[in-house]
Amino acid sequence: MPDEALSVGLSCPSCGGAVSIEEGESVINCRYCDSMLFIEGDMGIQTVAFKNKVDPQRAMQAAEAWWKKGFKARDLKKVGKTTEVYPIYLPFWSTTIKVAGWVCGYEEKTRSDSKGNTTTERVYKEVMVLQDHRFSQIACDPGDLGIRSLRNFSGERTFEDFTMIPTFETTSSVDEARKQAEAEAVEQARRGAGVPHITFERIYTVPRKMSVIYYPIWVVRYSYRDRMYVVTVDGVGGQILSGRAPGDPLYQSMAITGGTAVAGLVSGFGLVFATLEAGGSSGYIAIFALAIGAGVLYATYRFFRNGSEIIEGEFQGKRGEIGNPLDVGEILKTLEGFRP
Amino acid sequence: MGTASVGCPKCGARVEFDAGSKFVRCSYCASQIYIDRSGAGFYYILPFLVREDNAVGIFKRWAAGPTKAKYLDQRAQLAGSKRQYFPVYMFKRLVDGKELIRVEPAGSTTLPGLHELKVPAGDLKVFDSKYDVGGVPLIQPDIEMGAYLEKLPGAGKEQALVFFPIWTLDYVHDGKRYQVVIDGSSGEVFAADFPKRGSGPYLAVAGVGYFAFLAEALLSYFSPWLAAMLIAVTVVCVFAASLFVAWRM
Repeated sequence: MPDEALSVGLSCPSCGGAVSIEEGESVINCRYCDSMLFIEGDMGIQTVAFKNKVDPQRAMQAAEAWWKKGFKARDLKKVGKTTEVYPIYLPFWSTTIKVAGWVCGYEEKTRSDSKGNTTTERVYKEVMVLQDHRFSQIACDPGDLGIRSLRNFSGERTFEDFTMIPTFETTSSVDEARKQAEAEAVEQARRGAGVPHITFERIYTVPRKMSVIYYPIWVVRYSYRDRMYVVTVDGVGGQILSGRAPGDPLYQSMAITGGTAVAGLVSGFGLVFATLEAGGSSGYIAIFALAIGAGVLYATYRFFRNGSEIIEGEFQGKRGEIGNPLDVGEILKTLEGFRP
Repeated sequence: MGTASVGCPKCGARVEFDAGSKFVRCSYCASQIYIDRSGAGFYYILPFLVREDNAVGIFKRWAAGPTKAKYLDQRAQLAGSKRQYFPVYMFKRLVDGKELIRVEPAGSTTLPGLHELKVPAGDLKVFDSKYDVGGVPLIQPDIEMGAYLEKLPGAGKEQALVFFPIWTLDYVHDGKRYQVVIDGSSGEVFAADFPKRGSGPYLAVAGVGYFAFLAEALLSYFSPWLAAMLIAVTVVCVFAASLFVAWRM
């Protein structure tokens, strides 16, 4: 490699003294002649690293405590064996975006009276949005670690662990991250405005500098019946970020037994009740009961079918959701759509 | 190890820098140096973080997953494993003032998962003659970097050849041979084809159970006691059938 083409010495254009720039700075003062210098071109990206606060012992304990929670294999705490514990630094794009603007539109409200007549009413809305959006996204391929964004942004900042801990480099584009951050901020502001039918909107984003946060994460590999699973532990707070674990057929069959019973009985009783109570809203009651049944059946079937592996965290694909198979809130939210 | 060096443009001393840094400070004259990567081609390498026994364990965990044939983790016979470094080109371009990263193949391959082409997560090291690969064979790039450079949009910011670690495991199941590739850095598993587990028995248990309970709820309108008894019987039957399916199918 020709050296001369690679390295560029940085001198002050006014006095010729050496200047020193940290990554991400755009304006500096020359320390010799005090002239203010604006940096053009590739100024790099401001980088921070959080100090690792967790030791191998604590990472292991956190992982082993996690084995006992939820619907994991019952013998995991006896048979599971931690084989490897090591920390890594993962890079995350991070920024805060200010979002400001107006969202206008209307909400439709449908009412039915006792005679079964329905009237639809439009309620007009005009909502001002003004908020900060915290964005973070992993700056390299997440592989099979199940981590895509940061949940914690506070901690002691230092680079002193950098030589000890393997550091994963950023391999995704900063401008791609910027674009996603803006799209995410606008989308969140729009959703926060709570206007179902939007007729007009104007949302502005005020981006701040994108920075890279190196976050310490402990990788705990453990074996269970010759299989190797992985759990990641937050290197600042010590809690579990993501993980895979073996499931248990007993929980799978309990889920589907309970699920089919609740779904079938709710649907059946709903239909019986609807025929007895031949009023204006009885049809809705039957539909509502069938919808609850379908929702419960779907959720428990998914756990029954996929519950032989429990996944928590942001892994690729939607299967990550089954780590929380009986999320009643989610089911009720799905049901909202069916409600008359 | 895993660093490269340049001559300091101010004092001429050797200054070492890492794969990720843009600015370095000369340790002799303390002046700051900008590393301009636009004109040079760099070689990077990702070290192995997954050992062989772990690779086999990761394969078994994957094989025990819900979409794989039941007991694949126990019935699959390993027919060989090898580790290699696979090459890809990583181009950082500046297109209309925006950074664009493109990853292109540097070696032709039929291995599963490597067509998706990405630089896997890992501790990127500068790869030069000082770097010890520990006897792991490198798949040599057979596609020229220049072939891509001509077609890429924008101006070059950095271009690099990245070697990343992979485990290739062959296994036999029911007389058929399959192959998986495991990313040696994060442990992600890639497979094009594998013995699959059918959803039929699972759907059957859920469907029959649902309609049995539904019918019994309707029956309770005519005969509550008979319905209650039947519900109790159905609970036991569904539980037994689903336990069997979850264990064995």
